[in-house]
Amino acid sequence: MKLSAIRPIALVLSRELAITALLLLGVSFVVFIILYLSPGDPFSVLLEGQMSTAEARAGLREVLGVPKSWHAQYLSWLTAMLQGNFGTSIRTGLPVLKEVLRVGLNTLVLTIGSMLVTLIIAVPIALYSAARGTNRVSWPLTMFSYVVSALPVFWLGYIVIYFFTHKLGLFPLVLGYSSSAQKFGWLYTLLPIFVLGIGNGTISEVIRYLRDEMGRVMAEDYIRTARAKGASVWKHAYKEGFLIPVTEIIASKIPFILGGAVIVEQVFNWQGMGRMAWQAAQDRDYPVIMGIAIISAVFVRLGSLFQSIVYVAVNPRASKE
Amino acid sequence: MKSYTQISGEIGDLSELPFWKKTDVVDLVYVGYGLFIVTLVVFSYILGTFNLLPRDPQEIDLELMIAPPGTTGHLLGTDFMGRDILSRLIVGIQAYFLPGLLAVFIALFFGTILGVLAGYRGGRFETAITYVTNLVDSFPRLVLILLVIAAFKPNIYYIMIVVGLTNVPVVSSHIRGKIHFLKQKNFVEAGVSLGLPTRTIILKHILWHNCRSLLIIQATIGMAEAILMETSLSYLGFGVQEPTPSWGNMVQAGANYFMQGKFWLSTAPALSILFTILGFHLLGDGLNNILEGKRGK
Repeated sequence: MKLSAIRPIALVLSRELAITALLLLGVSFVVFIILYLSPGDPFSVLLEGQMSTAEARAGLREVLGVPKSWHAQYLSWLTAMLQGNFGTSIRTGLPVLKEVLRVGLNTLVLTIGSMLVTLIIAVPIALYSAARGTNRVSWPLTMFSYVVSALPVFWLGYIVIYFFTHKLGLFPLVLGYSSSAQKFGWLYTLLPIFVLGIGNGTISEVIRYLRDEMGRVMAEDYIRTARAKGASVWKHAYKEGFLIPVTEIIASKIPFILGGAVIVEQVFNWQGMGRMAWQAAQDRDYPVIMGIAIISAVFVRLGSLFQSIVYVAVNPRASKE
Repeated sequence: MKSYTQISGEIGDLSELPFWKKTDVVDLVYVGYGLFIVTLVVFSYILGTFNLLPRDPQEIDLELMIAPPGTTGHLLGTDFMGRDILSRLIVGIQAYFLPGLLAVFIALFFGTILGVLAGYRGGRFETAITYVTNLVDSFPRLVLILLVIAAFKPNIYYIMIVVGLTNVPVVSSHIRGKIHFLKQKNFVEAGVSLGLPTRTIILKHILWHNCRSLLIIQATIGMAEAILMETSLSYLGFGVQEPTPSWGNMVQAGANYFMQGKFWLSTAPALSILFTILGFHLLGDGLNNILEGKRGK
């Protein structure tokens, strides 16, 4: 990364941060509308949950009052959220933000791990296909990845569990993170990462996109010049053909990966954000699910921000657009 | 390097060659398989609606529980209550067929409107629609659906409306891109200078003649996604409830038996999901390559 890239990065960063803030505002508004439209007025419950419990207990609820008009409700809810108060869970009574962030860490591990798995599998296939074209080796691999991407991820989870528990004798007694009971307990925590990495449908998209982009770059004139010069082709091709497409496709697939995490967490009983969301939907615990929706949106936008930064760091001229 | 082949399709845009001579065999295989799956699904749906099933899907036969595939009278075996799996699979299609069509219709309808607005008018419309696109893309679809379920009741039609709405940005950005590309072509300018009403230009010349392949492809992809959503949701327990079969809740019900080594309870619906989604995806992919890209590659 060149030193001269710092100023364009700062420019893009500030612009993207402003856009991200606006988008997150929109996200909060969408969530608000959904909750507002639902029968049974969950909003009073939500706002009450956001007041400190002491006040609620002392019956000051009627005195302080819950704002009646929708814009007042929205504003008070939003300001409370910006201060970190996401309300309290209906089921457990615990503050939402703390709980979500606690399990969100597990989901983060799952998500990032699965992205790595996807890349490890997809990148070699894509690069090989781009370099050699469609031949006897790359085509079956690509077809195989298409089939794997269409597998329902919950079923894949069962197969993997069955294989590992019955055939290899690793019993999933303790779930989630801290299984130190048996020798291979740590291996079991890799399973959901592996399943999500394969089963979330992004392998085929990554392969397709990366292969197309890399193929396009390989046909460019400057690569031909590099070859003629005897220079290393990869050194010139990797920025446009690899780095940018990979960050682009990963950033755009984060929502799908998070969605897949909901299912995988349920299958493996992984204590993450997705499982909490599923539980909350069953219990109609809307403060929790609302908090999770917003945190996921934040996560998605962070990924998008990261992608913009990488784009500008690699190609500082892009900031002029 | 590939050996040089005379590309016979490059004579002109309106080449008289039948399309199967212009395309890769692979794409034809994709499309063929996809069409096969679509026909199978529609056919099974009709069978299911008219109750022309091999066996009654709710008929409990406690003497024949968890029979393997190939038992007499039960082509795919029976589940843990002795109900025929094949019939339940066929009826399970009803769980996603109409809702999926609803999702696809919503995605295409609103997507086209927004895409045309953004592409044809541009300017502030385009910025606003880009903003909305990014906004909708920020949510993981399943989380948004869980939010809707928590707020309203878990009605599959509400859910499919949400799925359709979340697909609107994708459709609209494709259409917008296409319109950008087409606006530069002469026929639009000609239409405007001839005084054709804007509605005609958009509806007839742009959409019908040029975008219909795009819309069909988006329809297949949208349907694949709707199927995946519905099966995932019924797997999680939010879709159709027992005893009504849905591919998702059949997998869920068979989960415990899976660990005991009795695979087919979960596997039959899972494989159905796999082949169906694969079929729609490949159909979209193949059609995409035939109709949209790869001319003379």
